[in-house]
Amino acid sequence: MLFKYIRLYIEFFKQNIKIMLEYRADFIIGAMASLFMQMSGIFFVWVIFKNVTTLQGWTFYDITLVYGLLMLSKSLNHIFFDNLWVLGPQYIRQGNFDTLLLRPISPLFHLIANRLQQDGIGNFLLGLVITVKSLYELNLNLGIKGVALIILFVVSGGAIFAAINLITATSSFWVVNSYHLIWTVYSVNEFALYPLNIYHKAIGIILTWVIPYAFASFYPANYFIHKGYEQLSFISPIVALVLWVIALRVWRFGIKNYTSTGS
Amino acid sequence: MAIIEVNDLYKEYKINQKKEGVLGAIGNIFYPRYISKVAVNKINFSIEEGEAVGYIGANGAGKSTTIKMLTGILTPTSGRVLVNGNIPYKHRVKNNSIIGAVFGQRTQMWWDLPPIETYKLIQKIYDVPKKQFDENLSTFTELLDLKELIKIPVRQLSLGQKMRCEIAAAFIHDPKIVYLDEPTIGLDIMVKDKIRNFIKNINKKRSVTVILTTHDLQDIEEVCKRVIIIDNGQVVYDGKIEEIKNSLGKYRTVHFQVKNCSNNLDNVLDTQKEYLFEVSKSPYDIQVKFDRQKITASEVMNIISPYCDIMDLTIQEPSIESIVRDLYRKQVDNNDFIKENAGNCKY
Ligand SMILES: Nc1ncnc2c1ncn2[C@@H]1O[C@H](COP(=O)(O)OP(=O)(O)OP(=O)(O)O)[C@@H](O)[C@H]1O
Ligand SMILES: [Mg+2]
Repeated sequence: MLFKYIRLYIEFFKQNIKIMLEYRADFIIGAMASLFMQMSGIFFVWVIFKNVTTLQGWTFYDITLVYGLLMLSKSLNHIFFDNLWVLGPQYIRQGNFDTLLLRPISPLFHLIANRLQQDGIGNFLLGLVITVKSLYELNLNLGIKGVALIILFVVSGGAIFAAINLITATSSFWVVNSYHLIWTVYSVNEFALYPLNIYHKAIGIILTWVIPYAFASFYPANYFIHKGYEQLSFISPIVALVLWVIALRVWRFGIKNYTSTGS
Repeated sequence: MAIIEVNDLYKEYKINQKKEGVLGAIGNIFYPRYISKVAVNKINFSIEEGEAVGYIGANGAGKSTTIKMLTGILTPTSGRVLVNGNIPYKHRVKNNSIIGAVFGQRTQMWWDLPPIETYKLIQKIYDVPKKQFDENLSTFTELLDLKELIKIPVRQLSLGQKMRCEIAAAFIHDPKIVYLDEPTIGLDIMVKDKIRNFIKNINKKRSVTVILTTHDLQDIEEVCKRVIIIDNGQVVYDGKIEEIKNSLGKYRTVHFQVKNCSNNLDNVLDTQKEYLFEVSKSPYDIQVKFDRQKITASEVMNIISPYCDIMDLTIQEPSIESIVRDLYRKQVDNNDFIKENAGNCKY
């Protein structure tokens, strides 16, 4: 069963690459555009550190590590789960969701596998550069265990992003325009680009217990730079798992509400 | 046991009455107001393996809604559907692996890829053995004349080309049942013909069960032996297509474009009431309905021509809509329609 899905994902993946190659110009423009947007965030941190050497006890590279980790998680979601954004407008409202329900495979798998978003690739590479550079400047010797943990954290972070988007996107089964809800909740991740210490407590609580994007950046970073939240870093995979269990429940309930369109 | 069993199937759509403005939108979340619309109203039928059944009715009769419940896309409000022993919306994977479907207005192929890539993905999704897949592909390519088409991205295909590829996609994994919802909509005669022949051929040779909805009576006549007619969500006829054709399909309507009509025409038409009915008349236009088994079109012309100059004429075959209308009238006149129908067949 699992193997069939892995095999199928590879098949879908190959087809998506073909489409990507066909739209080569789009690929370059898309990657550049999102790169520039991300650069501006780092630039902002850099400007602040022109005047100070630490921020609430955090150095420049401490902060860029948090930033880089979030970028990696975020871009995994961007590359592999981007179709969730258009569930409402392209699938449900136009009745194309019908097609997904006619195949002998999970419609959610079908929806996700249907698209690879090339625009995320540039961000992923930039995130990788920032993360590696930060780790290097912080003189951290990771070893194999450290690298494995980073991969685990980033994958968990990507899963957290995807699960949150899945929950909000599922609202498309009830409301005509789900975009505002998806976007509002998603935007909260911008706070997780920087250490939670710099914010009011309430924001920390929200990012940890309500919309837990901090488990994709701040807490995992703490594992390496020891600013007092090490214990929580290991919860990231668990948070991801719990969110997916909730998201799948919500999804299953949403599908029951699908009414297609007249035809 | 029948491959498709439908019992008291009922579907009610709940339509959210959306209010205007921001306050309305907020109100909507807390106090959604629904109106409901019954689309399918307690229908019953069963279909045997290998049958080809036409499922027809006027716009909005509930055809697509029924098909969507048979395929498991929609959950019935009440009643039961069993397809090959499975409840489609519950046993989705099991059910979907033995069915194929075409919905005339939307494509199941990947928009940016050539059809052949869609076929290959379907092969992987349904685990079709390579040999069987290659055989099907070459047979279908020949029958539907796809050779030139399957390498062109779907978005570059014309409607008719796309539909031919779409039909192949619905059959390529050797489904036991294929649902076709208006597969010929918007196509020209040549393409329609190709598609009809294909469906007929596969239905006969492989005993694939076919359920076809359409607004083109000829699709049904050529592909199906049995027809189920629905109106307002209810079955109004279920039986052989021939019976319908002989009893209701025997009517034709002639339109005459005329000039210089003499006043006597009215009287003459009046005396022919037994053969010509539903006459409508204006100074330049006469419309007459007649029973093909009682009087010929040329006789109708002979009745009218002495009294008018006929400039042009057209003869119309009955549409599905008019058959449904007539069916209704008959039912009101005589509840036991089928019995009367059988009587009609004798002469
Ligand atoms: N998704 C939907 N939501 C609400 N009402 C719907 C929906 N789909 C169909 N209806 C309503 O249900 C009734 C039956 O629609 P359906 O699409 O089944 O008709 P149909 O027989 O396929 O018609 P057509 O020949 O025009 O395709 C119609 O009155 C239609 O307005
Ligand atoms: Mg329809």
